[in-house]
Amino acid sequence: MTSPTPFDLIVIGSGPAGQKAAIQGAKAGKRVALIEQTREVGGACVYQGTIPSKTLRESALQMVRFLQATEVFEFRMRDDVKITNLMTRLDRVVRAHGKFMKDQLTRNGIDCFHGRAGFVSDQEVRIQKIDGTSALVTAPIIIVATGSRPRVPDNIPIDHEHILDSDSILSLVYLPKSLTVLGGGVIASEYASIFALLGVQVTMVDTADRPLKFLDQELTDEFCEAFEKTGGHYRGGQKIDTVQWDGCSKVTTVLESGETLESEKVLVALGRVSNLEHLNLKATGIHPTTRGLIPVNNHCQTTVPHIYAVGDVIGPPSLASCSMEQGRRAVCHALGLNSGVAPEHIPMGIYTIPEMSSVGLSEQEATAKYGGATVGRARFHEIARGQISGMTNGLLKMVADPKGEQLLGIHIVGEGATELIHIGQMGLLHNMLIDRFIDNIFNFPTLAEAYRVAALDIAKQRQH
Amino acid sequence: MAHSTITPLAQEERETLRSFIADQLGRGNLDLPLLPVVANRVLLLSSDPDADASQLSSLIQQDQALAGQILRIANSPAYAPRTPIVSLQQAITWLGLTMLAGLAFSVSVQSGVFHTTGYEKEVRNLWRHALATGLFGKEIARRIRHNVENAFLCGLLHTIGKPAILHLLSQTPDKSAEPFSWITVESLFEEFHVMAGSKLAAVWQLPDPVQETIRYYQDDQYHQAISPTKGAMITCLAHHLASVILGDSTHDENSLLTLPVVQDLNFYPEDMTALLELRETVKASVECFLP
Repeated sequence: MTSPTPFDLIVIGSGPAGQKAAIQGAKAGKRVALIEQTREVGGACVYQGTIPSKTLRESALQMVRFLQATEVFEFRMRDDVKITNLMTRLDRVVRAHGKFMKDQLTRNGIDCFHGRAGFVSDQEVRIQKIDGTSALVTAPIIIVATGSRPRVPDNIPIDHEHILDSDSILSLVYLPKSLTVLGGGVIASEYASIFALLGVQVTMVDTADRPLKFLDQELTDEFCEAFEKTGGHYRGGQKIDTVQWDGCSKVTTVLESGETLESEKVLVALGRVSNLEHLNLKATGIHPTTRGLIPVNNHCQTTVPHIYAVGDVIGPPSLASCSMEQGRRAVCHALGLNSGVAPEHIPMGIYTIPEMSSVGLSEQEATAKYGGATVGRARFHEIARGQISGMTNGLLKMVADPKGEQLLGIHIVGEGATELIHIGQMGLLHNMLIDRFIDNIFNFPTLAEAYRVAALDIAKQRQH
Repeated sequence: MAHSTITPLAQEERETLRSFIADQLGRGNLDLPLLPVVANRVLLLSSDPDADASQLSSLIQQDQALAGQILRIANSPAYAPRTPIVSLQQAITWLGLTMLAGLAFSVSVQSGVFHTTGYEKEVRNLWRHALATGLFGKEIARRIRHNVENAFLCGLLHTIGKPAILHLLSQTPDKSAEPFSWITVESLFEEFHVMAGSKLAAVWQLPDPVQETIRYYQDDQYHQAISPTKGAMITCLAHHLASVILGDSTHDENSLLTLPVVQDLNFYPEDMTALLELRETVKASVECFLP
């Protein structure tokens, strides 16, 4: 029996969490093994998730901007713009990003293994290679970052032809006439709004009365209004009974209310499940939760102290940005390094059309915590930059304490929201007072002016 | 093959045929057969998101032989209808629009496009392989959670260049009465079928992913394909699987694991086992289609 190859750190999974964990380990001078079950590094984030959906979104927006520009510049777009063209651009972006990540790992001297990792013991991992051979590696610290995949509900026969998931929808060869999107979360809302903008008749169905219920309602109201303007419909408070391809031309979705919805394709976006099945966690003594997640403490440490879990395998928030930080911090904790102050205010970016982003307390949370809240609003169409860019919708909502002095949260819906939020995030990190937004000067014309307008709105209420 | 013992060709004759095919393919005005009207319309319909089943049904009804074949396939044990399929509309509902369009296209092309006198058995084997490749293509796409819609057609047409070469050979000016040795024909396939298939696909205006698959489905080529449908890579593996289960491959089931395309598609041994478990189902479908 060949003895296992020793490393200082083993990282299982090369998505955002695993990659940052491995790099942190290498930068600390440790010998790092990174095991990835796919040939390419980057995980679902690069190949099925964050990068492809955002690229498709950008392509859709560019196409619509071109279509709008035809009136001004007197040119015509081809009527048969193909979705494969949009997807081909996506493929280029994905390949470039994958290469960038691979180069980064190589530069840092990380040993990358292509294979499926399974624990043999709490310090030993077997790598099952694709050709059927295997290798053993061992390390005193192990990071699990195996990510997640789309959930397949028992009552929905996903065939990747008519009934798709968020992976297979990325290889559509033509735009369907109609699409039913099952789910009301981030992935469902992002794809629903992208396809609606591309001219597909989209209906979202979910149990919640509004999509993205964890966000401030004013944001989701704006999103719903924009979604409906592009022909989309949201059907809230609905449970799905059955989904069936009729073998001919349409998929029928039967709701528990008895109502039926017919569409050419269905996208199932009803959550994700952690990739734990090949890990053989029982060899470590770690027991997944009933929801199939790995339980961890604040340092992402599992019940076995030298095994950490980061990213989607530990559950929400399941944001690439957070996963990266979890990976970095877990390794710092394991190696006894100073990881800096734990992030207090993590922004959330939703790449719907229009974008939504949020940081800090919502109006409801502020009211619960402080017994009240002062809210200032700035609508993009009232901002010069918004007018110039033709933004008919868009809102920046600023939440302050009841006296209207202390900044507590920022919530934005509108194009550029995910970039614009960072001003608010910095404000929160530095305990900024509302008046600082009024006393300072922003570039003009920019959407950042919305911060000043919202702050003035709060100040106005303060005076009364 | 029987032909190789009947008419062994001298090297000189083989070279003559090579020159003839190369010359034909090099010409701008290549004399390739036109796509039959029905097949052409079936193809257009199958890629038209506005098309519906009734349109395909009416189209198939225009070709009596085609309609008969489709009904026979729909009623075959491989598709195991719960009740006998008696109408085309019913067949469409049972088989699915995409599958039916692919089958209708294939039947239509086989029945009328190519002059293959003397090679009937071999041509039938080519179609068996193409059909098995299409069927495996669908399953491979499904396993990698990829849209399966295009995979069948890509597999079905990936070696369309081979019957096209036979068609060209039938136009050889000094063609002898006997068919050419099959070994010679196969060597011509090896050298020219991708080029012939690509030209035919362009003439027939096949969908872009299908054209790309024809051009790049081979082991050392699929990396050049850029279509996000991954048709070339999927078809490459499907092609090998079809060859193995139909007994016309130098690979055995175990050696498939060492193929680079298996690694590129990230198929672990258990994934390959699951695919190979479909062998009888695929064979049954092929047999009912080409009894």
